[in-house]
Amino acid sequence: MSGALDVTGLSVRFRLGARGRAGTVRAVTDAGFSLRPGRLLALVGESGCGKSVLAAAITGLLPANAEVAGRVDLDGLDLLDAPEAVLRDDVRGRRIGLVPQSAATHLTPVRRVGSQLVEAVRALRPADPDPRATVHRLADDVGLPREMLDRYPHELSGGTAQRVGLAAALAGDPPVLLADEPTAGLDRPLVDRSVDLLAGMAQRGHAVLLITHDLRAARRVATDVAVMYAGRLVEVGPADEVFAEPWHPYSAGLFGALPDRGFAPVPGHPPDLTALPAGCGFELRRPDLHTCVPDPALVWSGERAVACAPVGAS
Amino acid sequence: MSTEVELGERHGAAPAAPVEPRWRSAARPRAGTPRGRAAGRARSRLIAGGVLLVVLAVASVLVPWLGGLDQRLVDYDAVRLPPSPEHPFGTDSQGRDLLLRSFTGLQVSLLVAAACAVVSTVLGTLFGAASGVLGGWPDRLLMRVVDTVNAVPHLLLGIVIVALYRGSVLAVIASIALTHWTSVARIVRAEVLSLRERPFVDAAISGGASRWRVLRRHLLPAVVPQAALSTVLLLPHAVWHETALSFLGLGLPPHLASIGNILGEGRAAVLLGSWWIVTFPALLLVATALAVAGIAAWWRDRALPRRRSELGL
Repeated sequence: MSGALDVTGLSVRFRLGARGRAGTVRAVTDAGFSLRPGRLLALVGESGCGKSVLAAAITGLLPANAEVAGRVDLDGLDLLDAPEAVLRDDVRGRRIGLVPQSAATHLTPVRRVGSQLVEAVRALRPADPDPRATVHRLADDVGLPREMLDRYPHELSGGTAQRVGLAAALAGDPPVLLADEPTAGLDRPLVDRSVDLLAGMAQRGHAVLLITHDLRAARRVATDVAVMYAGRLVEVGPADEVFAEPWHPYSAGLFGALPDRGFAPVPGHPPDLTALPAGCGFELRRPDLHTCVPDPALVWSGERAVACAPVGAS
Repeated sequence: MSTEVELGERHGAAPAAPVEPRWRSAARPRAGTPRGRAAGRARSRLIAGGVLLVVLAVASVLVPWLGGLDQRLVDYDAVRLPPSPEHPFGTDSQGRDLLLRSFTGLQVSLLVAAACAVVSTVLGTLFGAASGVLGGWPDRLLMRVVDTVNAVPHLLLGIVIVALYRGSVLAVIASIALTHWTSVARIVRAEVLSLRERPFVDAAISGGASRWRVLRRHLLPAVVPQAALSTVLLLPHAVWHETALSFLGLGLPPHLASIGNILGEGRAAVLLGSWWIVTFPALLLVATALAVAGIAAWWRDRALPRRRSELGL
């Protein structure tokens, strides 16, 4: 149970209306990437490009009108086709921990933080002789002062709540951590501290997926980065190389919005996910910069991959 | 589609035929997430329930009329005849045809039930919404009224009302409606209290909306599905209640058919082996209750936009 997660050809679509008569939203198309122990993969992209749907697909928490295709492989277990009982009793919380977006609302409002963490540890580590001590250790690991354990969720600040959320995700000691926009609504120092914690978890041997549109946070901690546009991964590779020299014009445009790179957002809007073109879709937005190829699958060159472009081109 | 062709031509190569991926439903039996097939089930329940209810309602009007029912006619040459082509449901202890009487009784029961459901829902929604929106002492006063009504056994209160105005359908309706609006009031009040704390209500208030506008445009539309659901659930309950009152001899006068009257009179005949006197009217009652429950199940899935899209309705 090393915590290697391989996603291949993952697609998710939502059928609207009875039997999709009112259209189909192609939320994720043909996504592929790998999580490895000790690595932190940042999945970046604009709002609405399908990042959160991807995380929901991995954990089997999509709404009922969603359909999936492809394969999500966790140490040999196919998560997409695994029975619900396997996901419930063996995967969620135990092998994949989810760090929530707004941690305070993910806690039961009527019970103290500490008792909720103790319950999570009791449920997820039945052999643990002293769950309370484990909770104290978890609190230390995530930098949560122990007196916070006696508080109710509404008494926590945003940053503290985020630490509680991370501690709860670690309650079952899962080798894989998924963090879906864990820094939403936090200010810059708190964002940095929150993502540093995730980076620390990666250094301890967890495989971490950080879903974010905060490029600064991604650049700060990611070992690898995957850029998503209109439901497709358009670029994957080691973070330092991709940030230094993006190959896909969308990645370049996205990184151009960083404060130290001129604060220049990509003009225009992402395409409508109900009517996607054949390629990566960026051609519709910047025809001057990019011409799609018929098969927008990722083309690998060493450790890096780029969609819809000749290898090495930018 | 045209984009695809264009792109292919620009690159001088026909686009590779895309391999259609193997799609499968992501629906899982997680708490709160219905299975994918639930949509089809809810729809077939609606169709089955709706068709059944319409057939029963139409039959309850047409069958006694076509059969030329005379409620006062008794025929002591045809007492307790088992089901036969001439009397498909058999006859009762007074020799009256049970097919005609059962459907007439169903007509009475449906009328009483529908009237009771509507009256108690309107009353309950008014009480509950007023209570939830006003808060403070009006809320406490209204809720104590509800508690007081609840404290009296429903059947007892019903019996008192029926005893005051003996033998009329209106009295039966009043006796059921006036005892059953309290549950609707409680549901609506709880729903309003919980919705009142939601951000969209805060947004309306901070946008300058009056209390009345918040109630009318934001709270009631969100509450109405719940209230309507309790109406639908009240329907079979009211049928049973009418049946119980008639069974106790407190409903309609004995010569007027209602399901309760027939069951009450047929009780003794069962001991003489005439099983059909209670069986067929009771089956009609069960069929009505099931039909209404099917419609209620569909409505529950339909009422919330979010759930509707998850089910693909």
